[in-house]
Amino acid sequence: MSSHVPTPGVERDLSAKVQELERELTEARQQQAATAEILRAISRSQTDVQRVFDTIITSAVELCEALQGAVYLYDGKLVHFGAHRNYSPETIEVLERMYPRPPLPDQVSGRAILNRAIAQIEDSLADPLYVRELALAGGWRSQLAVPMFRNGEPIGAIVITRPEAGPFSASHIELLQTFADQAVIAIENTRLFEEVQARTRELTEALERQTATSEVLGIISSSPGELKPVFETMLANAMRICEARFGHLLLYDGEAFHAAHLEGLPAAYRELWERGPIRPNPNTGLGRIVRTKRVVHIPDLTADAACSERDPLRLATVELAGARSFLSVPMLKESQLVGAIVIYRQEIRPFTEKQIELVTSFANQAVIAIENTRLLNELRESLQQQTATSDVLKTISRSAFDLQNVLDTLVEAAVRLCAADSGLIRRREGEGYELAATFGFSEEFKADVTTQIVVPGRASIVGRVALERKTVAVADVLADPEFDRHQWQKLGGFRSTVGLPLLRDEELLGVLLLHRKEARPFTYQQISLLETFADQAVIAIENTRLFEEVQARTHELQESLEYQTAIFDVLSVISKSPHALQPVLDAIMTTAARLCQSTQAHVRLLREDGAFHIAAHRIHDPELLELLRTNPFRPSLDSVAGRAALRGVPVHVPDVAADPLISGFQRSISDRVRTALSVPLKRNGVVVGLISLWHDHVQPFTQRQIDLVATFADQAVIAINNVGLFEEVQARNRDLTALGEVGRAVSSTLDLKIVLKTIVDRAVELSGTDAGSIFYHRQETDRFELGETSGLDEEVVAKFRKLDIATGQTGLGEAIADRQPLQLPDAMKRASNPLRDAALEAGLRAALVVPLLGSEGALGALVLQRRRTGEFPPSVVSLMQTFADQSAIALENARLFDEIARKSRELEIASQHRSQFVANMSHELRTPLAAMLGYAELLQEGIYGALPEKFLPILMRIQSNGKHLLGLINTVLDISKIEAGQFKLNLGEYALGNIVETVMVATESLTATKKLAFKTDVSKQLPYGLGDEQRLTQVLLNLVGNAIKFTDAGEVRITAGAANGHFTVSVSDTGPGIPPEECEHIFEQFRQVDSSNTRAKGGTGLGLAIAREIVRMHGGRIWVESKLGHGSTFRMELPVRAPIAAGAE
Amino acid sequence: MSKRILVVEDQEDLRAILRDYLAASGYTVIEAVDGAQSVAKAASERPDLVLMDVQLPVLNGYEATRQIKGLPGYTAIPIIAVSSFAMKGDEEKARAAGCDHYVTKPYSPVQLLRIIRGFLGDQL
Repeated sequence: MSSHVPTPGVERDLSAKVQELERELTEARQQQAATAEILRAISRSQTDVQRVFDTIITSAVELCEALQGAVYLYDGKLVHFGAHRNYSPETIEVLERMYPRPPLPDQVSGRAILNRAIAQIEDSLADPLYVRELALAGGWRSQLAVPMFRNGEPIGAIVITRPEAGPFSASHIELLQTFADQAVIAIENTRLFEEVQARTRELTEALERQTATSEVLGIISSSPGELKPVFETMLANAMRICEARFGHLLLYDGEAFHAAHLEGLPAAYRELWERGPIRPNPNTGLGRIVRTKRVVHIPDLTADAACSERDPLRLATVELAGARSFLSVPMLKESQLVGAIVIYRQEIRPFTEKQIELVTSFANQAVIAIENTRLLNELRESLQQQTATSDVLKTISRSAFDLQNVLDTLVEAAVRLCAADSGLIRRREGEGYELAATFGFSEEFKADVTTQIVVPGRASIVGRVALERKTVAVADVLADPEFDRHQWQKLGGFRSTVGLPLLRDEELLGVLLLHRKEARPFTYQQISLLETFADQAVIAIENTRLFEEVQARTHELQESLEYQTAIFDVLSVISKSPHALQPVLDAIMTTAARLCQSTQAHVRLLREDGAFHIAAHRIHDPELLELLRTNPFRPSLDSVAGRAALRGVPVHVPDVAADPLISGFQRSISDRVRTALSVPLKRNGVVVGLISLWHDHVQPFTQRQIDLVATFADQAVIAINNVGLFEEVQARNRDLTALGEVGRAVSSTLDLKIVLKTIVDRAVELSGTDAGSIFYHRQETDRFELGETSGLDEEVVAKFRKLDIATGQTGLGEAIADRQPLQLPDAMKRASNPLRDAALEAGLRAALVVPLLGSEGALGALVLQRRRTGEFPPSVVSLMQTFADQSAIALENARLFDEIARKSRELEIASQHRSQFVANMSHELRTPLAAMLGYAELLQEGIYGALPEKFLPILMRIQSNGKHLLGLINTVLDISKIEAGQFKLNLGEYALGNIVETVMVATESLTATKKLAFKTDVSKQLPYGLGDEQRLTQVLLNLVGNAIKFTDAGEVRITAGAANGHFTVSVSDTGPGIPPEECEHIFEQFRQVDSSNTRAKGGTGLGLAIAREIVRMHGGRIWVESKLGHGSTFRMELPVRAPIAAGAE
Repeated sequence: MSKRILVVEDQEDLRAILRDYLAASGYTVIEAVDGAQSVAKAASERPDLVLMDVQLPVLNGYEATRQIKGLPGYTAIPIIAVSSFAMKGDEEKARAAGCDHYVTKPYSPVQLLRIIRGFLGDQL
């Protein structure tokens, strides 16, 4: 468009553009403000929590002696199976299928999480809720779970298992608790780390957004709304259209008019306007426009008051420029006068209404253009500030933990962007504020400022900010009545100043202060920018603080883990060598010296001689070690260890050289030992040792180190106690072993010499004496005679044996007479006697005589002999008494045994004789009996001719008595065989039915005589048995014979059957029965129910004993069931096949 | 001609009983009082059956049995051992020596006769 005449359309476009720019500006500011909130603590600890868990669970399983272990994590809804240890691949597969799952009481982890408490399953197989198959597959029985908490909420559990059932020990529970705590720390650490990571990401994103915004704004700012061509066009158009001779466009700043553009002005008048701003008098045209803010139209400049008053501007206008008609249109922005368009004619000719309206329109256009340009400039400025802010942010993010760099950057950026000359940041340190960063200070000024600490107060600006905790702006410090830091004002030459508080929440961290050398107040916009910088400074300071805190906590954690590991190390040494103190002390020395960075360390222990001796050390300086060894230690205040020994508490002297009480030896080594720590080892409240750690330079021990050494001291005491207990147990064990050995010797060997030798050897060994012996007392001669000895030369023994020791003469006799142990501390002090003299000759001075007292008086004495003089301790005396008792028992036993052995031998011989006699006798008896029976039978058979009738019953009686006698002889023979162990079976196949038949045939006549019913009940198809048919027939015959014998009326019944590889045979009768108490004894030898019966019924009382033996040898059993008055049933049970061994030989 | 039985027994009473009884029962009784004699009698007389006591002077019954059975053509002559030991193993020893049967003292002459008749195939 070639025309420069503004149109309403253009005006609308411009307005829209202004609105858009305003919106963009607001957005940019919001983003800038938002950026200020972003920064936070960043942790550099790259904790790999999985690895930590692995380590924790491995240690937990190992230290709790568990079978397996796992870490379960709880996200508030589900439990996850985490790090684990020792599970079989199958079990892991099952667990990974099971999890994640809600916390349920069927799992121990679920219980711990649900109940927020330690949970135990003592026996997973017996627990009603637990999944039994899981425990069986995994191989565990008992389980323990310790929950993990964060802020009181469960976040998981550590679980360990064991293969055996039963509760976990308190120490394991405590240990697992510690591991759970460590896991929580690890989780916390990781969470913190991840949070920092997240924040860092957010920050990076924000920076990217802002950079993008900057670029957009940069493109906008590269096409600026240029004001000059607008004015030029505008004025040219106005003059042309209004037929004016010349004109100008003026800007008004509230006091004066500045020429923004001049068009066609006569040279002299032009010069006037170019000289500077003009403040018009009220009556002039411009004065009136200032007053009225309306169009001023003066048709004739020479005809009004201003001219008549000879106003210089008017005169210049009229005379220099020759102007006559005058039109001035105000430029109003929100009813404020910002300028005016003025046009002149050199002739008196008023401007028309139309012309006035046009110029008014131009004025409005100009205002819009001006505003437009102003906004663009502001935008540009804001952009600059943003770029600066971005720089600061970049600095912060790049050097997140280099606070100095951040603060320096901040101050510099603040100074530059706010058109200040210098600036500083002071940080609060206690009650004062110390210089933290400066920019634009001269060396001299900076030096002065650095040395002085500002305190809250009105005299300084920083002090005032600290006091009021809000921004303080002073337009001119020289005009401020309260400001009194004139020294600084002179050095820095500043006039305007502004101070901003660095506030984090309610806490004032410091002050940001800016100086300007001219007295020009900081604008609202600058202050608001500074507030952003203040916020950033706070963020940076806070960021660094958090970072340092994380660093410190990480360090603490490492340290405490290291200490814990050290404590565990020592504990493991204690547990690995429970009987030795030295490895424990060595471990403590190594660990303590390492963790406390000590150059020297040593342990002293209280010994029997009442002095503290060096028991372990880590001293590399041989000279110092020698000095320590040679200088006796005593509890006193002039040494560090001495104080610890006296007071019984840890004593820490940070600088030995500065301690006035230190003297003597400790003072003399103060060039090698500057810092000293001594911790007492207290056992039952008594100091029994000291751990001392030294630095060869001044380096105080931290409280944690002192605590650690105190823990080591406790562990050392535990080890000392352990070793003490162990040694005591060992001593008891030695006593017990010796006693056991002696006891065994007494009971296992009847060789008296071996027993007594053992006793003497053990007595000497246990009492730690030089020699021992046993003397027998011979009552018949009233003399002592040397028995067994220990620790004596053969020569000496030979000498002792030759002695004639009369009872009354010696200590032996005295001890026997008193019936108690006798101490002879020194033989030199006793009267001479042969034994004493011989002992002295052998170099034995002291003796302990313990009498051996038997049931029939003194048997002898146990004597201990020693080269060293003095009494034997009570423990030895009491042990010797036990040995003496044992010896007496051995002597008595031996005597009794000899007697028994002798009698047994005699008995055995007698018994053999008897058996042989019985066997011979029965044989010899049978031969004539055979002849008698034979002849009787032949007579009866009529071999020798017919006998008279009346002889026959007599012949029968001879036969029956002969047979009875034969039976008796056979029985006696059987018993004698059984007794002699010669009773053997003759195994062969037999048919049980045949045996029953044989017995029935043999006894039928007897039942018939007694008119008894005889019944048999034999199963068909009985298997063939293996056994001694003849003997079994004998058994059954005996049972049936008895039944017939004792039954007067009724019946006798034999039953036989087979079941489960056994024959069952019973013989029942309807006789008188057997009392229950007799049923057990009836099978014993010579037993009959009623001895009065024996005579009536006959019999040896041996038959059942033999029967039982025969059945027993067949591998069977026999018993009787009976009730008085209801008969008896004898039953036997026989294996169908008797064991082959029964018939062996 | 009646069948001949060699009775080897050192006890005169028992020998007399057997002699009387067996003779009455229709047998010819040859007697021997010890083991050596029994072998000589058996060889010269060739009995139809031998009743052999085990416990004999000079040569015991087992050895005597062994020698008699060892004579040419004598294997089939039944020898019944008679023992008063009744100790385990006696019967085995007897059978090992070649005895065909074994009875213990005191025996019933009637029963013994039954056994003899059985061996000789005579009517009971």
